[in-house]
Amino acid sequence: MIKLLNVTKVYPNGVRALQDITLTIEKGEFVFLVGPSGAGKSTLIKLLFREESPTYGHVLIAGKNIARLRKSQIPILRRNIGVVFQDFRLLEDRTAFENVSFAMEVLEHSKKEIQQRVHHVLNLVGLKDRIHCYPHQLSGGEQQRVAIARAIVNRPHILVADEPTGNLDPETSKEILKLLIDINRSGTTVIMATHEWSLVNRANNRVIALDKGKLVSDGEKVLFAHEG
Amino acid sequence: MPMKVKTIGYFFTQALKSILRNFWMSLASVATVAVSLIILGAFILLTANTNYIAQAVEQDVEIAVFLYVDTPENKVKALGDKLEDISGVDSVELIPKEEGLRQLSKQFGEEHDLVSALGGENPLPDYYIVKAEEPQQVSTIVKEIEKLPHVEKVNYGQGVVEKLFSITRWIRIGGIVVVAVLAACTVFLIAVTIRLTVYARRKEVNIMKSVGATNWFIRWPFLLEGIFLGFFGALIASTVLYFSYIIFLDKITAAMSFLPIQRDLSILKNVALVVLPSGPLIGFLGSFLSLQRYLKI
Repeated sequence: MIKLLNVTKVYPNGVRALQDITLTIEKGEFVFLVGPSGAGKSTLIKLLFREESPTYGHVLIAGKNIARLRKSQIPILRRNIGVVFQDFRLLEDRTAFENVSFAMEVLEHSKKEIQQRVHHVLNLVGLKDRIHCYPHQLSGGEQQRVAIARAIVNRPHILVADEPTGNLDPETSKEILKLLIDINRSGTTVIMATHEWSLVNRANNRVIALDKGKLVSDGEKVLFAHEG
Repeated sequence: MPMKVKTIGYFFTQALKSILRNFWMSLASVATVAVSLIILGAFILLTANTNYIAQAVEQDVEIAVFLYVDTPENKVKALGDKLEDISGVDSVELIPKEEGLRQLSKQFGEEHDLVSALGGENPLPDYYIVKAEEPQQVSTIVKEIEKLPHVEKVNYGQGVVEKLFSITRWIRIGGIVVVAVLAACTVFLIAVTIRLTVYARRKEVNIMKSVGATNWFIRWPFLLEGIFLGFFGALIASTVLYFSYIIFLDKITAAMSFLPIQRDLSILKNVALVVLPSGPLIGFLGSFLSLQRYLKI
């Protein structure tokens, strides 16, 4: 489903964020992307939804080289990839419901469909009773649930989460991880970047470790122990 | 993806909301558009009027054919026939020397006894007033007349007409330059306004991008905003031009009734036909430029 072939990313300011990364992620996998800050996790995620393009190498999604996509095809790619960020990125002047429905409105879905699906996903992330709250009335964990609901409401095949628990306490982080695992069980490929090893160790999932832009390990178990 | 009615409604709401959110900046843009277009309209009216005056003057061009003072009377009559034979000549009128003297003494005023001052002699020549059928034929007719015998001098108003046309040309060139500079400033100001809007809504735009909204879906509200600003400006400019011209006509008619001015108000319709579409066009251009630069999509 996702293939990176010898991907190197050098930013215009000369920073070498990724070096010669080759990896494959199959459909339906749950993958942790770990490494200290500056390891290249965010860059790798940005390559997946074409926020950035690789300097060398290829990124293939569903067999398509996404660097070669025409500008008009990029939105189509992005509809297939849900994104969740560390800082939630919710619109402060809109309720939980409106934040999620916004993602469907801009894709011109019908009102009826929007109503149904937004209720369904907010229910799924456990915010049934909070749908008319504004972000400032919600806790950090609840805000991230809204963001996750927004990311999955258009039924993407892939969900990428860049440090989704970075702003949350350990207990809430575990709940968010559980939610992401549930989403993965329903068939969505999930890639979660994190530097919290305690979360990674809880689940027996594939772990891709990056350090200074290089792939240092890729396997079912965490091959080396880190602190923090 | 077919655009839905609901979507168009969404674009309009977003654009109008944005204009209200940046109210003062929007107002400044509308005012700049209005000022530019008022000046554009004023130049159009000015050019149209100088053209009109030039044409009116040209229509009136008379050729005065002065004969030698000592031309015998029968030769004068014969010349009159020859003048009428020239192609393009509409009418020929003889002004005998006595009539010429009467006109001259009228100009000097009753208190001057011109005739006695000249010692009872009339030094004036006879002359013919020749009118052309078409103003353009005047110079060829003049050439023909100059070949005829007993003709001392031919006067005609060609120089005045040429001067008027050259004034019109300069007004037009000046107008184009001024309007072009102003239009560029206006486009720039709208670009700045739209940039503020894009900045105010950058979070929304980023979310739209990340969930896969098409570029045109993201662009339209901003483009519409620019078009609206331009349209409001054009509307103000047209209204101001309309009423100012009517007031101006009133005043000029009272002060200088001899001046041939375009009194036909259909000229205002023509001005509106230029001004009204220019506003939205300027607005569209401004926001498009801004989006290319600040909405990296």
